[in-house]
Amino acid sequence: MRWHSFVLAAILAAASCLVAAQEQAFTNRSTELKDKGAPEGRTLATLPDNTSVKVVQRSGGWTRVEASGQSGWVRAFHLRFPTVVESSSSGGSMLGGLFGRPKQQQASIATTGIRGLSADDFKTANPDVAALGRLQSYRVDKGAAERFAREARLVSVSISYLMEEATSSKGRR
Amino acid sequence: MKFRLLMALGLIACAPAYAQFGNLLKGLDVNKALDIGKKTVDANKEYTQEEEIQLGEGLAAGFLGAAPLHKDERLQRYVNRVGRWVAAHSERADLPWTFGVIENETINAFAMPGGTVIISHGLLKRLQNESELAGVLGHEIAHVVQKHQLQAIQAGAKGDLAATLGKEAVGSRIGRGGDAFGLKSQLANAAVDLAKNGFFLKPLDRSLEYEADRMGVVLAARAGYDPYGFVAVLQMLAQVKETDEAGIMATHPSAADRIAELEKVVPALEKYAGQTVEPRFKQTVGK
Repeated sequence: MRWHSFVLAAILAAASCLVAAQEQAFTNRSTELKDKGAPEGRTLATLPDNTSVKVVQRSGGWTRVEASGQSGWVRAFHLRFPTVVESSSSGGSMLGGLFGRPKQQQASIATTGIRGLSADDFKTANPDVAALGRLQSYRVDKGAAERFAREARLVSVSISYLMEEATSSKGRR
Repeated sequence: MKFRLLMALGLIACAPAYAQFGNLLKGLDVNKALDIGKKTVDANKEYTQEEEIQLGEGLAAGFLGAAPLHKDERLQRYVNRVGRWVAAHSERADLPWTFGVIENETINAFAMPGGTVIISHGLLKRLQNESELAGVLGHEIAHVVQKHQLQAIQAGAKGDLAATLGKEAVGSRIGRGGDAFGLKSQLANAAVDLAKNGFFLKPLDRSLEYEADRMGVVLAARAGYDPYGFVAVLQMLAQVKETDEAGIMATHPSAADRIAELEKVVPALEKYAGQTVEPRFKQTVGK
């Protein structure tokens, strides 16, 4: 539901059979599947490390997944996301199975999909002072940003930066 | 590396004629080139905010020469509003924050000293909601707040020899009274050389990227966004394979490593259940 319509559809549009594919992930450790996205949720099952799951929804630190016929929530950090276009050499068996089509084909389509910027592009370009002026004309002031935030009911919160030392605070809530 | 060194020296020898690579090495006098002018970008100097902004303007002009702005002004203003709101929650809220979307399909975002932040359309279109955009912009804003790029320029940490010599090239031009590019300041002109010499393709130190990640999620959370938006961005990036020289994989630690680093700190933010703001994002960036 999340990114597949953009990434997969964009990259793999040529392979129309894949447009409906779901975002796939794997557990990156043994983790509990809960009936709601909260620590106090009831545990429905314990998913072993490397369980294949289908991502259904994200909500804060929790991700709703379908795994072996069950639906529930796992911690977002307990999932890893494989490179979709992984070539046949490594980890290919899982991906090939997931997408139900030849991995070779995925790789060849996807790697030609993104046209980016190269060192030569920068080296040969002349600075565009007019574009700089245009860029600066898009600036907004603080007041406009505040009105914009209010429209979406965004509320400022006071939070200090997180230092790594603060990490043992898993139970801090 | 050698080629780039020669390139840079060539720029010194015939500064205005960047495109004429065939002539680069003619009449080259290395010692003379190295002597010319004072370094415009001085490693030991403490830059004023105004100077920092000028450097950023030169970098931005150089950048935009290679990567044109997206034509959709509504999109540009939207990204500026999100970015300005997030930046307002930083320690440098009063910089002239400037955000831009380039048309390019590369997947990356770029910060320049003084408060200019560029996101590629290739990255923007892969995002799902405003909290994800806020996370990306928060990361770049953190680079500016911490002056990571400025320090890299000064330390020459970007600084292989070619970039260092790029600075000398500016000295030569300015020595001739050159405002070679029509920019207002010498520093801005100096920065153009940095852009030409690959400034935007050089990774920062990994530790600085992790720091920007940690600060960026806090900035987004301060602005009322779901701090996990940025985690979702990294999970998306983990799935994308790209071979682009200016892409996020070429210039950043792997998405998996960044997620692992963020796990050390982000769960502490769980209590700040911010907003994702999906409808407005979809409506503006939508397809």
